[in-house]
Amino acid sequence: MRIDPAVKKETLYILGFSIVLSVVMELVFYLCGHMDYTVPLGNLLGVIIAVLNFFLMGLTIQNSIGLSEKEASEKLKLSQKLRMLMVIALAAVGVGLPCFHSLAVVIPLFFPRIAIAFWPLLNKEKGQNPADEQTLD
Amino acid sequence: MELAIGIILAGCAIGAGLALIAGIGPGIGEGNAVAKACEAIGRQPESKGAVTSTMIMGCAIAETTGLYGLVIGILLIFVAPNLFVNILKNAVGK
Repeated sequence: MRIDPAVKKETLYILGFSIVLSVVMELVFYLCGHMDYTVPLGNLLGVIIAVLNFFLMGLTIQNSIGLSEKEASEKLKLSQKLRMLMVIALAAVGVGLPCFHSLAVVIPLFFPRIAIAFWPLLNKEKGQNPADEQTLD
Repeated sequence: MELAIGIILAGCAIGAGLALIAGIGPGIGEGNAVAKACEAIGRQPESKGAVTSTMIMGCAIAETTGLYGLVIGILLIFVAPNLFVNILKNAVGK
């Protein structure tokens, strides 16, 4: 299955922003004196969950384009439920196991939201016109 | 004492269950957004790239609403019981 360039681009953007925010978060942990091996491990798990969730959402959207309105709506609802279960299971593992720092697992789940808050600003600075983007037909 | 601890644990479990109801809303919202986007792409196929990018970002924002509930649920299950039981024990001890 080919991945739509729009999905690839946005996932890479979210991944890059998540890495930057992870560095900031670890710096805060270090400055607060709570830095140990559980923080990077938890951070890694949290970023993987957040980016995987975003990527799977993008894939579902890519596949639902071209379907009828009702089919697309049902497909995305089912996908959202399954992805939420995945996030709950992985986050529960991260919070429950002692080798992961609970906060370091939970905080990265919100990194995509922060990245999206900066998305219009960065697009404006680059002067991109989204209509010019290429997509799979 | 055991009854009070039981009530705390039950309250936390019920609260976590209620918090996860927030996960239903994003599914409905994303479904509607994608349905309308499909309609828009059908009407103007040349705007597919712009619509897809905006839709992915919009759906991710909607998804965050469910994550707030998820985090509250996780905190209520893993963190709150110990915290409240300790508060109770300290209060009874004094």
